[in-house]
Amino acid sequence: MNAKSVKPHPLEGIRVVDFTWVRAGPWAARWLGTLGADVIKVEWPENLDILRQNRFTIPPGVEPGPNSTGQFADTNATKRGISINTRTEKGLDLVKQLISVSDVVIENFSSRIMRRWGLSYEEMRKLRPDLVYVSMAGFGQTGRHHAYSTMGPSAQALSGLTFLSGLPGKPPAGWGWSYLDDTGGMYGAMCALTALRHRNATGKGQHVDLSQMITGITLSGPAFLDRTVNGRVSKREGYPPGNRTVWPGAPVINNYRGPTVAPHNAYRAKGGGYNDWCVIACFSNEEWVRLAGVMGNPAWAKDPKFDTLNGRIQHQEEMDSAIEIWTQTLQKYELMEVCQKAGVRAMPVQSSEDRVEYDPQLRDRGMYTQLEHPMLGTWKFQNAPFKLDKSPAVISGPPPMIGQHNREIFEKLLGLTIGEISEAYEDGTFWPPKMPKYPYIEEALP
Amino acid sequence: MTTEGTNGLQQALDGPLTGIRVLELSDEKGQFCGKLMADLGADVIKIEPPGGQNTRSIGPFLADIPNRERSLSFWHYNTSKRGITLNLASLDGQRLFRDLAAKADVILETHPPGHLDTLGLGYEQLSQHNPGLIMCSLTPFGQSGPWRDYLSSDLLHMAAGGQMASSGYDQDDVPDAPPIAPGGGNAWHIAGHYAYMGILAALYYRDMSGDGQYIDASIHEACALTTEGAIAIYLSNGSVVQRHTGRHASPDMSTRIQLATKGGDWVNVTRSGSNLTPARLRVLAEWMDEHGLAQDLLDEKYYALDGILENAFHITEVMADFFIQMPQSEIWQGGQERDFPWGGVRTLDDIMGDPHLEERNFFVQVEHPELGQSFTYPGAAAIYNGSPWNISRRAPLIGEHNQEVLCDELGVSQAELNLLAESGVV
Repeated sequence: MNAKSVKPHPLEGIRVVDFTWVRAGPWAARWLGTLGADVIKVEWPENLDILRQNRFTIPPGVEPGPNSTGQFADTNATKRGISINTRTEKGLDLVKQLISVSDVVIENFSSRIMRRWGLSYEEMRKLRPDLVYVSMAGFGQTGRHHAYSTMGPSAQALSGLTFLSGLPGKPPAGWGWSYLDDTGGMYGAMCALTALRHRNATGKGQHVDLSQMITGITLSGPAFLDRTVNGRVSKREGYPPGNRTVWPGAPVINNYRGPTVAPHNAYRAKGGGYNDWCVIACFSNEEWVRLAGVMGNPAWAKDPKFDTLNGRIQHQEEMDSAIEIWTQTLQKYELMEVCQKAGVRAMPVQSSEDRVEYDPQLRDRGMYTQLEHPMLGTWKFQNAPFKLDKSPAVISGPPPMIGQHNREIFEKLLGLTIGEISEAYEDGTFWPPKMPKYPYIEEALP
Repeated sequence: MTTEGTNGLQQALDGPLTGIRVLELSDEKGQFCGKLMADLGADVIKIEPPGGQNTRSIGPFLADIPNRERSLSFWHYNTSKRGITLNLASLDGQRLFRDLAAKADVILETHPPGHLDTLGLGYEQLSQHNPGLIMCSLTPFGQSGPWRDYLSSDLLHMAAGGQMASSGYDQDDVPDAPPIAPGGGNAWHIAGHYAYMGILAALYYRDMSGDGQYIDASIHEACALTTEGAIAIYLSNGSVVQRHTGRHASPDMSTRIQLATKGGDWVNVTRSGSNLTPARLRVLAEWMDEHGLAQDLLDEKYYALDGILENAFHITEVMADFFIQMPQSEIWQGGQERDFPWGGVRTLDDIMGDPHLEERNFFVQVEHPELGQSFTYPGAAAIYNGSPWNISRRAPLIGEHNQEVLCDELGVSQAELNLLAESGVV
């Protein structure tokens, strides 16, 4: 059932011990898996990954349980999984054996956990001298607040990212998802790839101490320099400026949306539904003239006060209202088509449904791969947004069911006998004694 | 950067990408990806049109005086790079670019699809003389498909990618609010992170096989896959998420997690009240009780089965009443001291001087010798303990390294460089 690519994988032969959970860490390891690494997710059923419990993503008719959530599935595709109690001496010893035959260890616990387990970088490098260790603690592993923990939303708040979106005079709108779990995840994969490439060049491994929260601060560069170089304060009139580059009536300064231009906004489209919006931006007077043409050169748009960028900014409210009267006569995809054909920047606001069902570009590019999932049936997985022509990233398998690969990993990789494996189930190393085992676990036992 | 060497002496350490030569033909779409590589030690040569790239005209500007050498946006996104100017429309420019490409490891380009091919500078042509060459084209919609040639911008990508459909306000906070695009530049950041991943994967593959390759990276696809659960929720039950103020978009109404604190600030408590456990609620209620603000939260009914779930909205309101009496930092740090993963909604003013960040050497002084000044830049998100991240120089001035790269390294004579300058090639 695995759609194996006939092309080689860039990370063929790399093994990753994946202690991560929730979103940022698993997303990082997922990319290493799609690039061909053998990613082994380490779990324990009594301390379930939160995404295995995500009630919103169990499809109707599917038996609820830790193997049934769609959000876990996409976040952990192309991995193998083991269940092992690292709080026992035997379990920890097996994990150490696993590390000794692996290239990368990645985790996103708070900073104290790995050290508590005796798995600090200093200890792990004794097991594997050229190990690449990527830690993804919210505040990092150094600095006075290293023991503080974050989730996406609080990391975003602390990084400054939340504050810089919204309407002036209103609470911050922030981000409607854990953007820093996405970014932290990408960063985790980037750190592992970078350290592996460095290992190729030098033969040396290293510890990369990533801070999820700080990834967010690095995404505010122009605002950061405006503060440190120009002393510009964040709490100011007209900031943040909604979807505009500058709020009507507020001082005309750059608010970090690229060049200061108008129009630059979201406009209601025909249909009037919750996501029936289209964004339009004109980056030059020429683009404005083209937009006026697309709108049929209405009388209002011929007023010379709109001829210049400064005029359009001064009369932005009036201009935006007039534009919106026109945009409401066409559906959002129609607006995009007529604008783009005329050389005007316009795109629809696309919901999840729009992207999966109606976006012709994503369909043409093969954004979603369908694979069979043991609980979810035929399921769509999101592909990499980069196409390497010789060694592509490929979603080659569904996520592991919890403990699914215990036997093959402990028997074939670490050389345990069938007897030792049975014993490890009986003594609670591989499964909590009081918890019923899933059929696939029973079936894998002798 | 230095470290304690085995012989007890301080040894300089190189960044992890030392020895990798990158040619960057990128505007706002790819300059962030180039910076990621440059700050990690790659020798990134930014190739701009004569007179400099348009990204130099994007504000804010030093002391608000517009000038192509004073764009703080350009400064930030082009640290650690060298810069040359080259007119790729000219035959001489194309020849010099081919000579540079013959010795490069990576080319990062953001031209419209097909443009470099028409100049004879596409991957097929350039790799003939350099089979190990990696070329990444990072474009709005990729090299194929019905939207391939459509115009875009940061805001347009946030719309089409789904960021806006997930971000905005509760009806109670702002009635009929539009979807709100997150802060500027993040389409380029998302795409830059993924393009970096693709380039590093290709470098790793080249180490193993000796082969370079072409990478077709799409900003739209990068954005479309960066909305966390929205797609999984739709695939699971067909529902489309609704926007909520400062928290996850979701199919139904959820409890608030961004609560106001004294003096007009906010704290984000990360997860809705329904996700508390009885033990955690007791820690919280006792803390509030110390301030006389626990209201009824110590009542046993909240600690019974489903007591939290059934009263999640009430618990949130009691928390809100507590928060509004307290300063922001006392709430979020007090929460952290009690193991709640909370965070203040900080501005950059709050972030400056954060001692935790100072202890991680996050605030980096970068010298601008032509101005006789140094400025504070944001530092590393990740500390590479064996091969440090480092801003090796401020962004290049226009054509600053023409002489160094074209004459000293490529062997162009001084006389020829003068001719090239006079004819508008550099």
